[in-house]
Amino acid sequence: MNTYKRSMAGWWQRNPFYRWYMLRELSCVFVTAYALVLLLGLYRLVQGPEAFAAWQAALAMPGSLVFHLVALVLVGYHSWTWFKIMPKTLPRISLPDWAVVTGGIGAVIAVSAALLWTALG
Amino acid sequence: MRSIAIECLRYHPETDRAPRLQSYDVPFTDDMSVLQGLQYIKDQLDGSLTFRWSCRMAICGSCGLMLNGKPSLGCEHFLRDYYPGPLRVEPLNHFPIVRDLAIDQSDFLRKLESVKPWLIGEPPAKGTHLQTPRQLDEYYQYSQCINCLLCYAACAQYGLNDKFTGPAALALLHRYNADSRDHGKQERMQVVNAEDGVWGCTLVGYCSEVCPKGVDPARAVNQNKIESTKDYFLRFLAPRKGA
Amino acid sequence: MQRVQADVVVIGAGGAGLRAAIAAAERDPKLRVALMSKVLPMRSHTVAAEGGAAGVTRDEDSLEHHFHDTVSGGDWLCDQDVVDYFVAHCTEELEQLERWGCPWSRKPDGHVNTRFFGGMTIQRTWFAADRSGFHMLHTLFQTSLKYPQIRRYDEYFCAELMVVEGRVRGVLAICIATGEMVCIEASSVVLATGGAGRVYRQNTNAGTVTGDGMGLAFRAGAPLRDMEFVQWHPTALPGSGILITEACRGEGAILVNKDGYRYLQDYGLGPVDPWPRAKAMELGPRDRLSQAFWHEHRKGRTLETPQGPVVQLDLRHLGAKKIHERLPLITEAAQTFAGIDTVKQPIPVCPAVHYTMGGIQTNVRCETPLRGLYAAGECASVGIHGANRLGSNSLVEIVVFGRVAGESAAEYVRATPQPVRDLSALAQAPAERLRAMLDRREGERLAVLRDAMRDSMEEGVGIYRTENGIRATCAKLAELRGRYRRGVRLDDTSRPFNTEWLSAIELGFMLEVAEAMAHSALERQESRGAHMRLDYEARDDTRFLKHSLAHYGGDGAPRIDHRPVTITKSPPKERHYGGAGKQAVLS
Repeated sequence: MNTYKRSMAGWWQRNPFYRWYMLRELSCVFVTAYALVLLLGLYRLVQGPEAFAAWQAALAMPGSLVFHLVALVLVGYHSWTWFKIMPKTLPRISLPDWAVVTGGIGAVIAVSAALLWTALG
Repeated sequence: MRSIAIECLRYHPETDRAPRLQSYDVPFTDDMSVLQGLQYIKDQLDGSLTFRWSCRMAICGSCGLMLNGKPSLGCEHFLRDYYPGPLRVEPLNHFPIVRDLAIDQSDFLRKLESVKPWLIGEPPAKGTHLQTPRQLDEYYQYSQCINCLLCYAACAQYGLNDKFTGPAALALLHRYNADSRDHGKQERMQVVNAEDGVWGCTLVGYCSEVCPKGVDPARAVNQNKIESTKDYFLRFLAPRKGA
Repeated sequence: MQRVQADVVVIGAGGAGLRAAIAAAERDPKLRVALMSKVLPMRSHTVAAEGGAAGVTRDEDSLEHHFHDTVSGGDWLCDQDVVDYFVAHCTEELEQLERWGCPWSRKPDGHVNTRFFGGMTIQRTWFAADRSGFHMLHTLFQTSLKYPQIRRYDEYFCAELMVVEGRVRGVLAICIATGEMVCIEASSVVLATGGAGRVYRQNTNAGTVTGDGMGLAFRAGAPLRDMEFVQWHPTALPGSGILITEACRGEGAILVNKDGYRYLQDYGLGPVDPWPRAKAMELGPRDRLSQAFWHEHRKGRTLETPQGPVVQLDLRHLGAKKIHERLPLITEAAQTFAGIDTVKQPIPVCPAVHYTMGGIQTNVRCETPLRGLYAAGECASVGIHGANRLGSNSLVEIVVFGRVAGESAAEYVRATPQPVRDLSALAQAPAERLRAMLDRREGERLAVLRDAMRDSMEEGVGIYRTENGIRATCAKLAELRGRYRRGVRLDDTSRPFNTEWLSAIELGFMLEVAEAMAHSALERQESRGAHMRLDYEARDDTRFLKHSLAHYGGDGAPRIDHRPVTITKSPPKERHYGGAGKQAVLS
C-alpha cells in the first residue's frame, strides 16, 4: 500500500499549543543555568570574601542583568506550568485539581514574597 | 444562504507523489456540521473525496480530522464557527495517509492489542463480580475512549516516534489496571515500563486538550509513571520469585 | 483474485458479530474464524445504542413477565417459543458481559442496577450510564482480541454470497483500502450486518446501516420476514435524527406538545396520575408514542421548527445531579447538536426511523433456510420483536442470538465437513459486475437516486400508511431500480479506498430492501404494532396473525406470502398500556 508519510519538520511552529510547550521546555534550560549561577556563588563564598565580592560584581554587569531578567520570567513561567500540570502526575488524592494548582502557585508566591522581604529588609 | 470555502487535502496513492489542497464552495445553514459539509461535496460536487464517517453523533470515533490544524471530530464542529473561512480540512496528523482524508489506522490497532485490554484473572464461575459505584468511578472516565485517534494526532511524541505506545492505548491500559475486577497489572507492566511505554511521554498534554470525551489520557499515562517507578524499585527491594 | 480459507465467516463486527465470533471460537478452538466488517469493529452502530439491555434480575420480576411484555409489545406477532428461549437467556448473557468487564451501572451494594424502560412492567433494563451499547461493544471487541482463532478483516466490504448447490460456501469481498477483491472460502457464514434504517430520510442510524446483509441473503434466496415493521423512535433531534435515548423517559422525563400539555394521555396511555407508572404515559411502547406524535401534528399541536414539527422532551424536573449522573451522553448531544442545556430547557424531538424489526428469516438456532447461512441481530428476524420491538430488547438480543449463531455455525462446520472449494471461478462474474460499476461515464448521480428513495419511503411507507401511498412508493422504487440498473455515474473510477463505489453498491442493497418493506406493507391490510394503515385501522387476527415473507423477484418486485405465527401460551389480546396501575419507583 502506497501510504504517504508527512514530515514533522517545523511541527512545533504550526500550533500555538506546541509553541507554548516548547517555551516550557526551554525554560528548563534557564532553571538549570540559574541554579549553576547560585552554585557558583556558593563556591565563591567558600573561597573567601574577595572571591565572593568579585562574583557579586560580575552579577551587576549589564549582560548578567539581562540574563537574570529573562531567567526570572522563564522560571516564573516554568513554575506556573509546573503546577498547572501537576494534578495529572499525582496519584488519586482527595484534593480537586484546582486546589493543587492554586495551592502550589500560592506557595511559590508566598515563599518568593518572604525571600524578597528578607533580602530587602 | 451563506457559503464557505472548504480546502481539503487530497492524495491518491496511484497518481499523486504528494498531497495537494483542493478547494470547494459549500453553501451551508447554521446547523450544518463540517461532516455534512464534506457530504455535500461528495454528493453534489466531487464524489471522489474520501473520508470516514458513521454515527454523526461523536460516539463511533470515525470522523477524526484536522480542522484548521486542530484535531477534531467532523460531526461535532459546525461550519458556522469557521465562517467566513476558508476551512482547511486535513487527515489526522502523525498517521500515514492512505487516501485523501483517510489515514492508516493499523499502528493504533496494534498498540491497542499490545496493552491486553481485557479483564485478566479468574472471574466468578457464575453471576457477576460485585463492584460499588465508588470502584466504578476509579476507572470509568478512562473507559469512555471512542478510539477516535485525535490524541495521537495531538501527541507530538507520537509524531516524532511512532513506536510510542501512545495516549489512548495507555489510557485503556490504565482503565483495566484501575478496574477492581482486574488482576493483570503485573502482566501489563512490561508495556508500561518500556522506553516507548509511559516513558515516551513528556507531558505535552495536548492529548487531553483535544479528547472529545474527557478521558484525560495525559493523566492516565502520568499516573503510570509513578507505578512504573514503584515497580522498578520494588524489583530491587523485594524481587518476586521467578521474576 | 486472492483466496482465503476459513471455517466460519462472520460478516459484521458489531455486538452480534463479535459475540458470534467469540462463541464460535469458544465452541471449537480449532476453528478458523474470519470476522469481516466494512468499518473497524468499534465503529459499528451498536456503539450508538444508549438505553440498556433487558434481563430479569429483581425478585419481583420473572421470565413470565418479560415474556408477556415482549409478546404484547410485539402485538402478538412474536414466535412465542423463540421468545421463551430469549427471555430465559438474557440475564446469563448480560452477566457474561459483566464478567468480561462491561461497566454496568451499580447499586450502592455493588450489584448491577436496572431501570424502567418503555413497555416493560418491571425494571429489568441493565444499563451503563446512557451509553450501554458503547460499553457493550467495546467490551466485546476488546475481549475478542484474546482469541487468536479470530482473524479480523477490518474494512472489507462483503459484496456477494457464494452459493454452491444450495449451500453457502463463502463470500466475495472488497478490501476497501486497495479496492482489490478477495474470495473467502468457508463452511458457514454468519450475517450480523445490522438494520436498514438509512432507506428513510429521517433516521437515527449511522451511515453504515444500509441493509447489506439483508440484501445479500435476499438475493441468494433467503426470504426477508416482517419487513413492513419499521420502528420510529419517538424522540430524535429534528433534522439530523440524532437519537435522544428512551433512558430519559426511564429516568422520568415527560413529553409535552406546544401547549405544554402531556398529550400521551389522549392516546390510551393515561391517566397522568399516579405518575410514574410502568407502561403508562412516557413509559409506553415506541410505536404508540410515535403514532401519538403523528396525530398531534395532524391536530396542529406540534411546534414548528426549520427542521420540521417537534414536541418537547422535558428533563428539567429531574434536577442537574440526576441528569449529569444518569444521562451524560444525551446532555452532551443536546448541547452540541441542538444547543440545548437539558437542565434549563426542554429538548425538541420528533420521531425518526430507528430499528428494523424485520429481517432475514431464521429459526431459534439462527439458521436461515439457506444451508450454511446464519443470521443474528438486527439483520435477522428470529421472531422475538413481532410488530414492534421493546426498547432494551435489542441490545440483549445481539448477545443472546449472537452466541447462538456462532455456536450453530461452528457446529455446522463440525457436523458437515466439506473439502475446500475453489470459488475463484464462481466469483469471476460477480467480481466483473462490481468492477464494471467503475466504468460508468454516463448516468445519474448516486445522491439523486438515494434521496428519491428516501423521500418516497417517508411519504408512502411512513408512520401511517394508505394503499395509494404505498402503491406510489412501490412504483417509485421499481422506477428507481430500473434507473439504478441503467447505471450510476461515479466521479471516482479508481480502486483504492473508493467510498463512492461502495455507496453505489449499498444503494443497490437499499433499493431492494426498501422494495421488500413497501410490498410487505401493501399486503398487510391491517394495523398492528408499528405498521399502521389509515385504511385498515383495526388489528385483524383472522387474516393477519401471520408473518409476511418477501421472496426475491430478481429485477421485478418481490413476491409476498404469509406464514402463521407460533402462539404457545399467550393468545392475542388487546394491548393495554396506561390505565390504573401501580406507581413505579424510579431508582
